[in-house]
Amino acid sequence: MDLSAKIIYKPPNTETNPTLEDPTPDYMNLLGMIFSMCGLMLKLKWCAWIAVYCSFISFANSRSSEDTKQMMSSFMLSISAVVMSYLQNPQPMSPPW
Amino acid sequence: AVVKYLLCVVRLQHAGRYNDDFDDGEDIAEFDDNDFAEFEDVSEDPAVDVEKEPPPRAAPSSTPIEDEEDEATVENEDGQDEFEDADAQDQDMYSKYDNEEFEGHEKTNPSFKDTLIYREVPAHLQNSWESYYMEILMVTGLLAYIMNYIIGKNKNSRLAQAWFNSHRELLESNFALVGDDGTSKEATSTGKLNQENEHIYNLWCSGRVCCEGMLIQLKFLKRQDLLNVLARMMRPVCDQVQVKVTLNDEDMDTFVFAVGSRKAMARLQKEMQDLSEFCGDKPKSGAKYGIPESLSILSEMGEVTDGVMDSKMVHYLTSHADKIESIHFSDQFSGPKVMQEEGQPLKLPETKKTLLFTFNVPGMGNTSPKDMDSLLPLMNMVIYSIDKLKKLRLNREGKQKADRNRARVEENFLKQTHAQRQEAAQTRREEKKRAEKERIMNEEDPDRQRRLEEAAQRREQKKLEKKQMKMKQIKVKAM
Repeated sequence: MDLSAKIIYKPPNTETNPTLEDPTPDYMNLLGMIFSMCGLMLKLKWCAWIAVYCSFISFANSRSSEDTKQMMSSFMLSISAVVMSYLQNPQPMSPPW
Repeated sequence: AVVKYLLCVVRLQHAGRYNDDFDDGEDIAEFDDNDFAEFEDVSEDPAVDVEKEPPPRAAPSSTPIEDEEDEATVENEDGQDEFEDADAQDQDMYSKYDNEEFEGHEKTNPSFKDTLIYREVPAHLQNSWESYYMEILMVTGLLAYIMNYIIGKNKNSRLAQAWFNSHRELLESNFALVGDDGTSKEATSTGKLNQENEHIYNLWCSGRVCCEGMLIQLKFLKRQDLLNVLARMMRPVCDQVQVKVTLNDEDMDTFVFAVGSRKAMARLQKEMQDLSEFCGDKPKSGAKYGIPESLSILSEMGEVTDGVMDSKMVHYLTSHADKIESIHFSDQFSGPKVMQEEGQPLKLPETKKTLLFTFNVPGMGNTSPKDMDSLLPLMNMVIYSIDKLKKLRLNREGKQKADRNRARVEENFLKQTHAQRQEAAQTRREEKKRAEKERIMNEEDPDRQRRLEEAAQRREQKKLEKKQMKMKQIKVKAM
């Protein structure tokens, strides 16, 4: 065990190829926003619920370096979509079958 | 007359309700005033009708109770029923009475009992949560997701900690720096894993002879994502530990070698830049070198395989064949093939002498922290490989072959990019000319301007002459 070698600190993780990174959180974020907008504009309850799910999935898959503001904003948008759909039309959701 | 009429109605209602007293009622009618005597006959018919009314009214009221499955609404319907009953009853009696009393009055359609419509109360006004079952399902799903997130995150964290605890001693005895997250400008040993994700943990070790540094990545399964958990039920996958050792130039001779599971080898040969260029042959079965059949070898030349596969290495590979996904030694390592949109890149990708080990954690997803101890011998193998490769040197013939291979690869690359490089050179030349012209234009002193222009002209003439000479030479050679 010869410790005469030099010590180098870890190179930053940005060296890793960005194409190798998992695109799931970004896709889910985008999907979540699209579904929230659909839910808000078209007053579709199921769209709003799916948006909430998308934002949760995006959060679970996110990298620790990612901005929490982005996550929070997408989450808040989906929650607001659900709340608005129910305020406009308090009827319960009917299943598609 | 109206008062008598009203009193009679009250009596009839009374008579209709209490059937026991019906006989008494009749008797009373007989002994009543003469005023009421005239109603005696009339009282019988409506009374009979009244008797008939409750039973048929009871019949339709029972069917709605059977129809309505929702228990909560039965009360409402019943209440409405009674109300409608009373109303209809009154109306019926009144109409009958009208018919008797007034002549020329059209007989109204008395079929009230057939056209009773039971309006359904809108779901959101009912005081029941059951109509919101879809919403409850959704919220339950979300809660399940959150629960799974917490459980999965904790499991991954425990596995990482267990791995680190079992390997800490070995790493700290071999490396001066264990665990650095790169946040501080100087190298500081944090002695902890660096969490990149909920399922990826990194550890950087450095400060050892024979290598520049070692990056260990614990690539666990995404236990925190419920979708991933469900997908894994269809297709089981393993947790992986990836060790990447970067070497200094003097730590390794020039060769490319890989050994691993057959599937992994086939995949790597297609994906990896260096393996596809230097190891063109199909993966050879490991049985020839004493390792299990399930492993196969990709090598630049036979001498390399013989050199790497010494008895100790064979022992390691044989006893831990199930945990080894791939082992890749290369002096030309540049990662996987990069797909460029604008055709080939202009320069060869940067290479680094690297050893890349990928291990599968036993358990196929259902790992427990105890399984991490079984990876310790593999880390020993990594350390052994680092030391071994420092000593492994190709003989003269091998070295020549290796150099020829590398020259061949470079030549191929240059040929492919020839056209593009020409273009790039052309644009560079034009840029230079333009820059010079600008300089001349910007020059204030007219004398200096003239001199610079003359110098530029002379240079251009010289270039033309050179070109002409070259052409002449080529012509002469051709002849």
